[in-house]
Amino acid sequence: MKEPVIQAVNVSKHFGGLTAINHVDLTIQEGSISSIIGPNGAGKTTLFNCVSGFYIPDDGEICFYGQMIMGLPTHKICKKGIARTYQNIRLFKEMTALENILVGQHPCLNSKWVESILHNRRFVNEEKQAVLHAQELLSFVGLPGLENTPALNLPYGAQRRLEIARALASRPTLLLLDEPTAGMNTQETAEMTAFIKNLRDSREITILLIEHDMRVVMDISDQVTVLDNGKKIAEGKPEDIQSDQRVIEAYLGPGYQKITN
Amino acid sequence: MMKTSLKSATRTGMIFGLVFIFLTLIGFIVVGANMFGGLFVKSAENQNSVRVDAVNLLVFISLFGLLSGVVFQKRQPDAKWMHVVLGGLFTGLVIGLIAGGAVFLIGILHVKGIDLRNYLPNLGPDTIKFALFHSTPLSAAQTYLIFFIIFSLAGALLIKVISLGDGLKSVFDQVKARAAEQVDSQQLRDLMKNKFFLVGVGLLVAVLLYFLPLMWGSYWNYIMGTVAIYILLGLGLNIIVGYSGQLVLGYVAFFATGAYTFALLTAPYPHAIGLNPWLAALLSVVVSVLTGLLIGLPILNLRGDYLAIVTLGFGEIVRILVRSDLMTPFTNGPNGITNVGQPSWLGDVFSDVNYMHFLMLIVLLGLFVAKRLKDSRTGRAWIAIREDQTVAQATGVNTFQYKILALLIGAAFAGLSGALFASRNQFIGPEDFTLMVSINVLCIVIVGGMGSLPGVVAGAFVLKGLPELLRELSDYRLLAFGALLVVMMIVRPNGLLPDRTTWFSRPVPGKDQKNYDEVNQ
Repeated sequence: MKEPVIQAVNVSKHFGGLTAINHVDLTIQEGSISSIIGPNGAGKTTLFNCVSGFYIPDDGEICFYGQMIMGLPTHKICKKGIARTYQNIRLFKEMTALENILVGQHPCLNSKWVESILHNRRFVNEEKQAVLHAQELLSFVGLPGLENTPALNLPYGAQRRLEIARALASRPTLLLLDEPTAGMNTQETAEMTAFIKNLRDSREITILLIEHDMRVVMDISDQVTVLDNGKKIAEGKPEDIQSDQRVIEAYLGPGYQKITN
Repeated sequence: MMKTSLKSATRTGMIFGLVFIFLTLIGFIVVGANMFGGLFVKSAENQNSVRVDAVNLLVFISLFGLLSGVVFQKRQPDAKWMHVVLGGLFTGLVIGLIAGGAVFLIGILHVKGIDLRNYLPNLGPDTIKFALFHSTPLSAAQTYLIFFIIFSLAGALLIKVISLGDGLKSVFDQVKARAAEQVDSQQLRDLMKNKFFLVGVGLLVAVLLYFLPLMWGSYWNYIMGTVAIYILLGLGLNIIVGYSGQLVLGYVAFFATGAYTFALLTAPYPHAIGLNPWLAALLSVVVSVLTGLLIGLPILNLRGDYLAIVTLGFGEIVRILVRSDLMTPFTNGPNGITNVGQPSWLGDVFSDVNYMHFLMLIVLLGLFVAKRLKDSRTGRAWIAIREDQTVAQATGVNTFQYKILALLIGAAFAGLSGALFASRNQFIGPEDFTLMVSINVLCIVIVGGMGSLPGVVAGAFVLKGLPELLRELSDYRLLAFGALLVVMMIVRPNGLLPDRTTWFSRPVPGKDQKNYDEVNQ
């Protein structure tokens, strides 16, 4: 069996007296699409932040391809091959779409500041390649020709796509998507779902996502992890999760059967 | 409609009236009247000075009234003729009553023998007589009232006449659109790519830059030299504040370090090291960078306001340390250092013209370096940090390293400007390096437009060159300067020449719009 992309064991994170996640295990297999679901405040984004290095867990350990990544600063984790998007879009607003992606390529480029003043051949070639790659990525996410539009002028859907393009620019092996379809209508959601599937198939990227839209989750996930109140209450294939008693209780409350009866 | 017209007229009238009172109280009307009056009326020596004064003041009042009418009318460009006439008259009436009343009051007090200078130092008897047309308070107040009414009406009518047809607003829009069209046109873009054209323009600018210092004379060489040094300082701070977004308020620390290093190494007293100025300049840069490292390493993890306050302290520490008793044997304390070394070329010490050429060269070099740094992986990382530091780091940018780098390069710029400043002035003291230097440089960056290189140049000219041009106004120089700055920031809140990313904060019609629409569908 292949080594899992992410192996998180017994991870806990407290904020003062609040336990955001409580002894959670998470294993993600290479090439899979995994979803984390759960009611609001369940600790989904906290878990995400622990994996991407925004938070350092108080307990447990997180390994990426067998390497311990817990406690590393975020830029080192990014360099190892984990890229992410954000629940509330966080683009570099005043920079153009192209520049956003070029920043995304930062860990893959090598030129130093002295070289940028001298414009030596290596710098010029690297810049050319970077721009080409950025344009390619823009086309890939469906925003061709918008290179010079500042990010803040893009419509909402395009901003979401641009954020994914920026994340892809660092050539990640694991992509973390925090609510990629939030605020989208049915058609846009369908497009995004197809896009994520295509992403995994064509780029061979492992994807972990947080999502509230159950249709999306059930449609694309290989594995679903359900969190409630910081604890993992269920994990498995989408079909199993749908019929899991604890999951239904977490979403609808323990008294739901009395009402339906 | 009528009501809004009157309301607007009252408001405009009151604002202008109060401004006029203010100008009267600070005594500016004398200067202003003579300045504007002089533009229109040739004052002959043999003419009666009382009459000249009166005419000048009338010209000033008329212009003021015209302006108020224009402002009133611009607020409601679609008003009917009737409303324009009534509104213009009413605006004038309000200003006339306010200004005339004030002048009447001042006149009465003056006649009663109260010396208003006790309360308002600029309101001397001469000024009051001037404001009263050298006649009685009542007749002066009447003149004010009549002139304001006539000229407010004229101003309002003037704008109405001009705005006939499509209306002023649409005319402006058309002009703007046409200008944008032309800038956007293929021809101009081709022209900008044409190497011969660029070389031609470059040569022209070079020739101009070469001959200007020869013709200016030493006074303007001195002023422009200061501007050049401030451009260099601005370029450095622009890298720190404009690119990487770290609000550093103690920038003068690096400037002072550079200047003192250069001065101590080259001046005969207190150390008599007598190092070669070129080598000393290099060392100044090195020492400034080391200071940057010393200051930056412990504090660059701070963000925003905290960083600003901590660096503010560092700026003052350097100055206070230099003039402290402890350091006096080493830095010559509050007395400063005289006879600082000058750069020389083939045995000849630079003349002020040579020095100006040299400064221009350094500024061009600085612009070149700043421009190239900006359009690179490094520059993009900086701007990403400015936009969102957390995300920049999660995108793979080692934010701490890049922030230090920005600070060090900025410090290097400041160190070099310090060396240039010391060697050009021949004298430096601790009072050359007050907090005001930091604030001035920050203003240059902000007024010019954060992160914009042409902005830094424009900002330095406006903030360091303009006060010299305004010297004509003597005492009111800083007042006029402050007013200009306020107006500038209202009219162009993003700075004089904002960075290109803010230039196109709306999609360019016809260019980006097509793609924009496609995505929106």
